[in-house]
Amino acid sequence: MNFDLQIIVQNLPLLAKGAASTLVLVGTALIVGTALGVLACMGRMLERGLFFRICSAYIYVMRGIPEMLVMFWIYYCAPLVLDARLTPFSSAVTAMSLYAGAFLAEIFRAGINAVPSGQREAARALGVPEATVWLEIIVPQAFRVTIPAILGLVTLVVKVSGLASLLGVGELVYEATIISGQSYRYFELFTAVGVFYLMMIIPVSYLAQVYERRLSQRAQ
Amino acid sequence: MKVTDKPMDEMAHALTAPTSKQSVWRGIQTRDAVSLALGIAVLVLMALSINWRFVGTLDASVIVKYWRPLAEGAAKTVLITSCSLVAGFLVGGLLAIVYQLVPRFLRSVIWLYVEVFRNLPLIVFLFWVHFGLPRLTGYPTSAIESGFLALTIQSSAYLTDITRAGIQAVPRGQFEAAKALGLPLVSRWGPVLLKKTLKIMIPPFSNVALSFLSGSSLLTVLQVGELMTMATRISDFSFKPIEVMTLAGVIYFVLNFVVGRIAKQVEVATRTPR
Repeated sequence: MNFDLQIIVQNLPLLAKGAASTLVLVGTALIVGTALGVLACMGRMLERGLFFRICSAYIYVMRGIPEMLVMFWIYYCAPLVLDARLTPFSSAVTAMSLYAGAFLAEIFRAGINAVPSGQREAARALGVPEATVWLEIIVPQAFRVTIPAILGLVTLVVKVSGLASLLGVGELVYEATIISGQSYRYFELFTAVGVFYLMMIIPVSYLAQVYERRLSQRAQ
Repeated sequence: MKVTDKPMDEMAHALTAPTSKQSVWRGIQTRDAVSLALGIAVLVLMALSINWRFVGTLDASVIVKYWRPLAEGAAKTVLITSCSLVAGFLVGGLLAIVYQLVPRFLRSVIWLYVEVFRNLPLIVFLFWVHFGLPRLTGYPTSAIESGFLALTIQSSAYLTDITRAGIQAVPRGQFEAAKALGLPLVSRWGPVLLKKTLKIMIPPFSNVALSFLSGSSLLTVLQVGELMTMATRISDFSFKPIEVMTLAGVIYFVLNFVVGRIAKQVEVATRTPR
């Protein structure tokens, strides 16, 4: 068993390019997903009516089926059903955003519910404008509580981004598959890719743990 | 409100009935109007973007034709997920118990195992196990063996952490009280500690089970023959991706729902009566 470090060093530029592509994928999906999450969270907060039903259905479906299926469905079926011209990158981003949005909606809602409703009522009774109630009282506190969960979701989205390689998006796993397909050095390359992913994910999840500990200390 | 008109028991019921949770929304009318307007907007937007002429050509007969391989795939998904969860639970439980017993430097080895395999994306790990690991071990694994191995190792990492947290959630005093009462080692660990740990573990375990049920769809990269593999094969073969993929989604959703329900039932059934 010889571990050929040379092949990793040689292909480091390609792997770095793949890692950059992964980060772009994750970043875009998180931004779009946040917008979707806010919208769906709003729908859930309505608690009844048509929009509430639609948002609930969206959240349950996204949480109930594999991410991979969403990605494949969008890649294969959206061009037919929606007449949309989708590149692999855009279909991967769409699928990841839909996925992230559903989880973020639930996280946001949990955060808003964690703010005691007495504060809201007190602010309203004092005549504080509704926009100020939300922007300066509820959202900052809700955000602080949800940071660990949001960071957890970020790690999840990074993990999911590897699936985009199956659609042919040139990210980390894809580059590794291509290079190892040429050189038959699967062991070395996938070890390297694993290290790349761990370097992206472990700091985030460590941060989440630290923050969670601090939150629970404050609660005591 | 005229109280005298109402019979006594109805009044008492009105007083004791739980009031609904305070809502964020003040005016009922605005809330309903907003919900309806946004809902209609979304539906109209969807209706406009869908290509209805194409939707008319959808053909469900392909599902009837290929129901057998799809059912086999679903069965395989359930089988491989449950097998790897059971194996992962055994490994994880053992590691969590060992974690309580060994000195500090050995604990960090277990901690490293948990952190690495919990944070590695499953798809990378699958490739690594299937294509990389045989170089290390010299034993080539078949697709299904690699899939099982990868799922087991990853789920064991999650379950080690969950079991460890569960053991630590049982108050230390109970264990020490059992020791003070002279209970034998087996009952100290069994009924006193691990039984309670298992109860605490049910909700997080069901979360892991659900995520691995979805995660097993990744085994399609090795063509293991579970539901996702079957769905992609059939849709490639029959040129009917929409029908087949949607049906696969429905099957996954139902499986997910059923497992979630079972977990809830188990949780309720094992709840300690107060």
